[in-house]
Amino acid sequence: MSLRVIAFMDNVEGVLLAAYELLQDPSAELLFAKDMDELRSKIAFSGTERELKAVGFRPSADCTTLAHKLLGKRTGRLSPRDPDVEGYISLVLRHSSCDPASLVRFICSCNGSADLLYSGKTPAGKKYYNYMRDVSRSYHRLSMFARPDLVNGILSVKVDSPHRIGDMFCRWLAGKNPDLPVAVLEKETAWIGNGRYLGLENFTHIRSSFLGSLNFSGAPDDIDDLWDVYYDSQMIPGRRNKGHAKHLQPKASSYISEMSARDRYKVERGISSCTLDNFTG
Amino acid sequence: MTNQHVAGEHHFTLTERMRILSEGTKYDSCNQSAVCHAFGPDGRCIQLYKTLLTNACAGECTYCPNRCGRHSTRASLTPEEIVRITWSFYRRNAVEGLFLSSGIIGDAERTAEKQLEVARLLRSQGFTGYIHMRVMPGTPLYLLEEIADYANKFGVNAETTSSVNYSEICPNFDYTSDVLQRLQWTRDLIKRKRREVGYGGRIVGANDTQFVVGALNEPDREIIGTVDRFMVEYELRRPYFMSFDPVPSTPLENQLPSPRWREIRLYQTSYLLKDYGLKAFDFDAVYDDNGFLVDTDPKILLAMSHPERFPVNVNSASREELLLVPGIGPVSANRIIQSRPISSEKELMRMGIVVSRARPYIEINGRRQTNLSSFMGAGA
Ligand code: SF4
Repeated sequence: MSLRVIAFMDNVEGVLLAAYELLQDPSAELLFAKDMDELRSKIAFSGTERELKAVGFRPSADCTTLAHKLLGKRTGRLSPRDPDVEGYISLVLRHSSCDPASLVRFICSCNGSADLLYSGKTPAGKKYYNYMRDVSRSYHRLSMFARPDLVNGILSVKVDSPHRIGDMFCRWLAGKNPDLPVAVLEKETAWIGNGRYLGLENFTHIRSSFLGSLNFSGAPDDIDDLWDVYYDSQMIPGRRNKGHAKHLQPKASSYISEMSARDRYKVERGISSCTLDNFTG
Repeated sequence: MTNQHVAGEHHFTLTERMRILSEGTKYDSCNQSAVCHAFGPDGRCIQLYKTLLTNACAGECTYCPNRCGRHSTRASLTPEEIVRITWSFYRRNAVEGLFLSSGIIGDAERTAEKQLEVARLLRSQGFTGYIHMRVMPGTPLYLLEEIADYANKFGVNAETTSSVNYSEICPNFDYTSDVLQRLQWTRDLIKRKRREVGYGGRIVGANDTQFVVGALNEPDREIIGTVDRFMVEYELRRPYFMSFDPVPSTPLENQLPSPRWREIRLYQTSYLLKDYGLKAFDFDAVYDDNGFLVDTDPKILLAMSHPERFPVNVNSASREELLLVPGIGPVSANRIIQSRPISSEKELMRMGIVVSRARPYIEINGRRQTNLSSFMGAGA
């Protein structure tokens, strides 16, 4: 039995490097941490005196090359929307149930075949593929149904996903609104995009309780909320398709914002006063 | 904000005008190229803020509620108002951008200039969202060129299949010069833009057009033939179909509405042209005696008319052969090829194949659950 411990940071690079190390020394023990501080405290807590190899805590590896080295090239995709290997690992790591050490072991068990990550042929493959899909779905739902508000000139939105996707969503929102600072509140953390407008780093995070002290005066004034009027105007009364609409505007996503909860309500109940008459005179 | 009203308009609030003009575009389909943010009770996605600039129109299209001379509520929005509403929805992540159409304001040139005003204003304010412009037949080339600079997608509606048909329903325009010539120009401009911005730049959507289905008696065979021709000649990616609904006080008010299923069957057939590599003549066996589609999935009809092609072996068939099987689409065909060998229907189900539909047309390791003739009711 090896006396080594492979300590790795729980990000894409760390996972790939740890898998590489584990292949060299399959009986080594795995230990992960989100940063050096956490690693130190974990080591202190465990009291281990075994040889320790720490990887991924300082960015150094080219993840794409490393992924190719470990898993080869994929021959095809199950779905055109499936991400590449790095994207896959990044999504899996965000899953609320993901154990990064098991993920490293799973990658090693793929025997150099990236296709096993996607094919669902083994129980572990199916589990991680489903993790990847869960997180990806959660992120897409957020991109669809979250409705930010302008608060103190900052485009702000609270996210409540079981998975750690606040930073991803913040980057997406900031890219869509490059002229405004954006804030995505995820539990105690506020992710800030376009932070340069607030005198912060362009992409950063702060404690959410500090968000109230930030202000951006260059934000445009908003007009009254016309969404409900617009939403109602798009309904074609003769084509109501409740089952299909309920599937696409799922109840499970209604919690994401009040606006999408109202839309869902109308999907279920219909729109009472259709005013086509006004249009046709 | 001051509102510039078209002559004869009543005074409406912004909310009222917005509702009237958005209702005027509700039959236009979204472009499906970005994130959908909401779905209406009819199950259609709401992806863009769709509006007309005005529903006052100088045109006299026989099926249209906006045709001039028809007594109806007229309204318009100023470019500034459209820009503010677009921003407001966009900031709230309720839409991905704007779809802008209009009634004809004087002539096609003036209308396009007004539409351009909106696009210019949005882009000058840093708007990076999607802009889809429905341009008028007869829009001059120099304006189309400028529209191509601002819009992600733009196109003109063909409405029907030939000059003769077109002159019957859209008497103010000429099919060859005002529509087909514009389709050719938009094709060339899209190509040029794609070369300029590359794939890393902003999205440049493919050529698109819309047909009104059922306003005239043109058979589906003719519509599908036209779509196929447009795909080759104008690089049309996706046709849109709008079912005709008779509008009171128009020349076609007494005509029957087009059944909803016809539009659906036309869409299904157009997907088979677009994604499955089929050609218009492949559907010859699918139409009824008058050249119309019937209310059955055209892919099933196509498969039933070629029993000699089946069953296909899921473990050895080519992608093209798999694609002919009802219940197997481009994505699921890829999944099958990727996951071979397949040993059970359960595996196919997990891959998203509609096994109940595919069953009569496939075999797994030489075994079939049912055969095509029993499925067609002809006995085993
Ligand atoms: S030009 Fe357009 S808005 Fe005007 S009548 Fe024809 S279809 Fe209607």
